[in-house]
Amino acid sequence: MQAVRTVFAAALALGLFASTSAVRAQDVIKVGAPLPLTGALSPEGLKQQRGYNLWAETANAAGGIKVGGKPYKVEIVYVDYASNTPRAVQVAERLITEDKANFLFAPFGSGAAKAASGVSERYGIPTIAATASSREVYDQGYKFLFGTFTPNETLIDPLTEIVSKGDPAVKRVAILARNDLLTLSLANLMQAAAKAKGLEVVMMERYAIGTMDHASAITQMRGAKPDWVFATGYINDLILIRKQMADQGVSPKVLTMIAGPAYKEFTEATGPLAENVSSASWWHPAVRYKGVDLFGTTEAFNAAFEKKYNVVPDYAEASAAAAGAILQLAIEKAGTLDPAKVRDALAAMDLVTFYGPVKFGPTGQITSLEPPVFQIQGGKPVVVFPAAVKQADFIFGK
Amino acid sequence: MIYLQVLANGLVLGGLYAAIAVGFSLVWGVLNVINLLHGSFIVLGSYVAFFAYAYFGIHPFLSAGIAGAALFALGYVVQAGLVNRVIAAPVLITLILTFGLDLILNNAMLLAFSADYRKVNLAHPLGSLELGPIFLPGDRVAAMVLAFLLTALLYRVLRDSRIGRAIIAVRMDREAAALMGVDVKRINAITFGLGAFMAGAAGALLSIIYPISPLNSSLFLGKAFVVCVLGGLGSVPGAMVGGVALGLIESFGAYWLGPEHAITLSFSILLVLLFVRPSGILGKRGYE
Repeated sequence: MQAVRTVFAAALALGLFASTSAVRAQDVIKVGAPLPLTGALSPEGLKQQRGYNLWAETANAAGGIKVGGKPYKVEIVYVDYASNTPRAVQVAERLITEDKANFLFAPFGSGAAKAASGVSERYGIPTIAATASSREVYDQGYKFLFGTFTPNETLIDPLTEIVSKGDPAVKRVAILARNDLLTLSLANLMQAAAKAKGLEVVMMERYAIGTMDHASAITQMRGAKPDWVFATGYINDLILIRKQMADQGVSPKVLTMIAGPAYKEFTEATGPLAENVSSASWWHPAVRYKGVDLFGTTEAFNAAFEKKYNVVPDYAEASAAAAGAILQLAIEKAGTLDPAKVRDALAAMDLVTFYGPVKFGPTGQITSLEPPVFQIQGGKPVVVFPAAVKQADFIFGK
Repeated sequence: MIYLQVLANGLVLGGLYAAIAVGFSLVWGVLNVINLLHGSFIVLGSYVAFFAYAYFGIHPFLSAGIAGAALFALGYVVQAGLVNRVIAAPVLITLILTFGLDLILNNAMLLAFSADYRKVNLAHPLGSLELGPIFLPGDRVAAMVLAFLLTALLYRVLRDSRIGRAIIAVRMDREAAALMGVDVKRINAITFGLGAFMAGAAGALLSIIYPISPLNSSLFLGKAFVVCVLGGLGSVPGAMVGGVALGLIESFGAYWLGPEHAITLSFSILLVLLFVRPSGILGKRGYE
C-alpha cells in the first residue's frame, strides 16, 4: 500500500509540477528505488525502505539538499518489483526513462543489483547499492555503480583470526550452507579461511532453499564432532538449524551463524539458544563514528531511527540510510545535479559518516569499512571486533 | 547406529508432514477442491497459538483446539459463502477461487503481522529424550502424538458419526447422497471446515517447531500436495502413510545424497509414483 501510495503521490506530483513551470520541477531531486516490497524478499525490501525514508525525511526537514546554494527537496520514487529480479531490471529502466530519476538506489541483494546495474550504466545514472556485497557485482568495469558493503571475505577473515588465536583447541570445523548466492559464497570463503588457518573442515554441506528440516544434516554434523559450527542462511533457516542442533545435543565450542543473528527477531525466536552465537555483519548499532553527513554521529543516527520506528536499526537499514547520506554528500560536493559530475564526486569521496569511513575502490565497492564481529551475550549482541569499537571479549563454549 | 537416528528423524518429520496434509487431503478427496488456502490456514493457526501464548500464556498444545475451532468457523464460512457457488464447476475454477482467496488471506496476514519470523519459545522447553544413541526432540514427538490423536479422532468421526457417514457418502457419490436426503451443501461446508480445523490445529502444534511467517504458507502447501499424491487422496490413512513416506525419503535422502538433494529426491520419487501408481500408495480408484 505504502509503495502504491508513494508512486501515486509521485505521479501526482509529477503532473502538478509539469503543469506549473519548468523552473519549479527543477527544485526536486528524484531518486528511483526499485525494491522487493512484496514477495519472498519483502522483509528485506521493507527494511531498506525504512532507511531511505529516514534519510529523505531528515534531509527535507533540514531544508533539503543544497546544490550550488539552492535548496532541493528529496523525493524517492519507490516501485515494487515483487521479489522478481527480471522485473527489477525493467523497473530500473522505467524509473530512469519515464520517471526521470536523477539517481538510483540499486535493488536488493547482489543478484538484482548486478542485473540492474547494466541499465543505470547505459543511461549514465549514478547508482548506489546498499545491500550488494559480492565482488562479481562490481567487477564489470562499470563507472556509475557504487556499493556500501565490503566484499564477503571481510566478514569471515576477522572471525577466523579471533577463533584460531583465542582457542587453539578449536580444530574441527563443520559448515552448513544455504545453497544461495551470498550464503554459499560465505561458506566457500569460510572453508578456504579455515584451511588457511590450519583447521580441519570435517563437514561441508549445502541445503536447498525452502528446506523445512535439518535433522539429517545435523545427525551427520554430530557424527563429525566439530569444535566450530559455521552455518549460513536467512533468519528462518538459522532459527530452525539452531533449534534442531539443540534437539540432537550438538553444542560446539564456537557456533557462528550468518546472517540471522544481526536481527533482533533471531534472539527473540531462539531465546536462550541464541547465547554465545557469533556472527558478523557490515554494520552494527554499537559502532561509534563521528560523521560529516546529515546524521552526524552513530548515536544520533540510532536515536533518530528509534524515534521514528521504535526499533534499533540493523545493518541493512543503516546501509540504506547511509546510501542516501553518501549521495547527498556527493551532490553537495559536486554542486550540480549533472550525473557525470556527481559520479566523479562519489569516486573521489574520502570522509567519515555515521556508518563508518567512506571511500570507494576503483570498482566502486567501498574499501574503507571494517565490518564488526559480534556475539550474543546475555541475550544481546555485543561487538567483539574491531578493537576500536569492541564491547566485550569473545566467549568460547566448553 | 547412525541409521537409527536418521530413521527416528524421518519418522518424526513424517508425523509432522502427515499433520500438515490430512486436512488438505480430506477437502481434495471429498469436495474435489484443491484448497490452495491450506498453507495460509496453517500459518493462521500458528499465529493464534503464538498470540495465545504471548498474551495469555496458553500452551500451544491447548490453543491447538482454539486455533482449530477458529479455523473451522472460517473454513465453514468460506465454503458456504463462496466455494459452494462454484463447486459443480470444473476443478480449475475452484482452484482459481482458492488461489485468489489465498492471495487475499496471505497479504492480509502480511499487513497484520508483518513478514518478520517469530516463534513460540516455551518457558519450559521439552528438551530431548535420549534413548541410547538416539535423540528424540520432545516438542516434535509431543506435537506429532497430539496431531496423531487429532487425526485418529477425525478418522472416528468420519467412520462412526452420522455427519461422518454423510461426508463419506458425498465423497462416493454426490447425486446418490443427495437423493438419500443428505444436505450436500451443508456437508460440503462442514468438510471444508474440518479441513481448516486440522490445518489450524496443525499450525498451532507446529508453532513450537517452525518459525512463523506468512511467507511459510507456500512451503506447507507444497508439502501437503506431495504427501497427498504419495499417499492417495481423501483417506485419513493415506495422508498418514504419505506423510511418513515423505519424511523417511527426505531423511534418508538428505543423509545419503546430502541435504541439498533431499527435496530433489522426494520429487523424483513422486514423479515415478505418478507413472507407476497414479492413485498413490493407499489411493483407491473409482472415487469420483
